[in-house]
Amino acid sequence: MKNKLKEPVYILGVGCTRFGNLLETPEIKGLTLQEMAAEAVKEALDDSGTDPSEIDAIFVGNVTMHTSTLPATYSQIAKWTGMQFKAGVHFDGACSTTNIGITLGAMGIASGVYRKVLVVGLESTLSQPKKLSPFDRETIPTEEMWLWTDYCVNQAYSVPQGYDIFPSYNGIIAQAYCKKYGISIEEFEKGMFELCRTRRLHGSMNKRAINQETLEDEAKRFGFDDPYAFWKSNYNPFLAWPSRLRSAVSAADGASAIVISSEDGIQDAPNLPIEVKGWGVTISDLPWYEEDPTYMHYDTLSFDKAYDMSGITAADIDYLHVHDCSHISSICTAELSGYLPKGEGLKYAEAGRLRFDGDRPMSTHGGRHAFGHAWAASAGADTYEAVKQMRGICGERQIPNVPKISVVHTHGYAMVSTVMVYGRR
Amino acid sequence: MPKSIIRGYYEDLEQKKVIGKKCNQCGKITFPPTAICEHCGSREIETFELTGEGELLFVSHSMAPPPNPRFNKLAPYAYGHVKLKEGVFVQGIVTGVGIDPASLEEWYHKCPVKVVPDIIDAEGLSILAFKIIESQ
Ligand SMILES: [Zn+2]
Repeated sequence: MKNKLKEPVYILGVGCTRFGNLLETPEIKGLTLQEMAAEAVKEALDDSGTDPSEIDAIFVGNVTMHTSTLPATYSQIAKWTGMQFKAGVHFDGACSTTNIGITLGAMGIASGVYRKVLVVGLESTLSQPKKLSPFDRETIPTEEMWLWTDYCVNQAYSVPQGYDIFPSYNGIIAQAYCKKYGISIEEFEKGMFELCRTRRLHGSMNKRAINQETLEDEAKRFGFDDPYAFWKSNYNPFLAWPSRLRSAVSAADGASAIVISSEDGIQDAPNLPIEVKGWGVTISDLPWYEEDPTYMHYDTLSFDKAYDMSGITAADIDYLHVHDCSHISSICTAELSGYLPKGEGLKYAEAGRLRFDGDRPMSTHGGRHAFGHAWAASAGADTYEAVKQMRGICGERQIPNVPKISVVHTHGYAMVSTVMVYGRR
Repeated sequence: MPKSIIRGYYEDLEQKKVIGKKCNQCGKITFPPTAICEHCGSREIETFELTGEGELLFVSHSMAPPPNPRFNKLAPYAYGHVKLKEGVFVQGIVTGVGIDPASLEEWYHKCPVKVVPDIIDAEGLSILAFKIIESQ
């Protein structure tokens, strides 16, 4: 593998809807997926100062066709986004989708074929069309959503023999982490509580997050003065022992969009372009780990590829997001990346060092738990946050030392490990 | 007529046989079986019977109601990470283990423990589960 970009590629603009529930959340309530995508695209085009006529190709991602009923998504949203008669494709990298789209678009640009590319991700995880209505939607039960989402997982052997994401991606990894580093279950609980507190603090400062309530406020709402007592209560049950509900993903509906460009397309950019310095993509089937469940080999390969392509080391990273639909898995990944020392992640969380104002800021949009997770749209939302942080415009959750290098890692079910390296010029 | 490898795997389980493939090129085992050696890509692979015995390294539990209706009667169940004697890692349902925190914490401290295959029925499909044999 040559692992080089022949020409530099930039993110020119980003867009993202509020993540929430199409049936409830004020900013997106009553919208269809086409309209949600159009909203994210409009923001990205405006942010990049790009007229739709300048876009050469569109890469559209959607994972759960059962809730969108929009295969061939390129045609379905072409007239909603000004992309009629462009080159286009619908693709799926599960929860890495939008960032995989950036890599596809960037290769199209660096090869000299395209000048500007639009990447879009759209997803509903909470509802489906009601009786084939073009606009009415109805809630789907959580287990149905997982049944459909687990179509991404080994259907030959794992799913029919009892596979479940919560033990595999959460409980077992948590136990392995505690054993490996000599952390007691009580210490683990405290660490996970603090990590959740940090993510929820970030969500509370982000108007696009699905959950904007701090953990402390939520505890009070349930009648607890002590948020840790709330954490250990039946209101926060074990999803997969020893991991609890509030250490995991909040499923959401949402859309995100990114405009990327060659160097000759960024001269009149109204907002600071961010360089796509490199990436690493690695796929794997189950098992995701062997003797040591805290170690996912394909992540090592992805970080190595991304660091090599972009010419950075872990020491250069100013802001990191790693896939955190399981909080303990995100700690393992952050340690694997070299951003946090091995076995120290929970201590860093307890000391507040992972907060936006800490020395190792992570997931300042709130992550998969507080910002929410809308499968195909989420990686774009992570990139959105990285871009806004590097432009220094994140308001009260702005990282004080505006990041020069940001790294965004996602686990596309199950798995496409994707690491993006972004740089401020 | 071609024979489905996946169908064969489950039919073998019904006969209490745990079948994978072994590679003539690199010597490694592909389990469960696929069309190729998962380690080196060789097509020089042969049917290989595993003991299904091994060590349970960790055990947690599933959600309920389960995503897959096949497990409506079984969920929530204990679900574990197993290292088979042959060096293969596999996850599966662990029968006979309670999913209350106290029970799981007990097994957390006891693990690794020996397991043997416990082939169970899930809505008409024979699947590979495990049961613990305690060596007191
Ligand atoms: Zn081989």
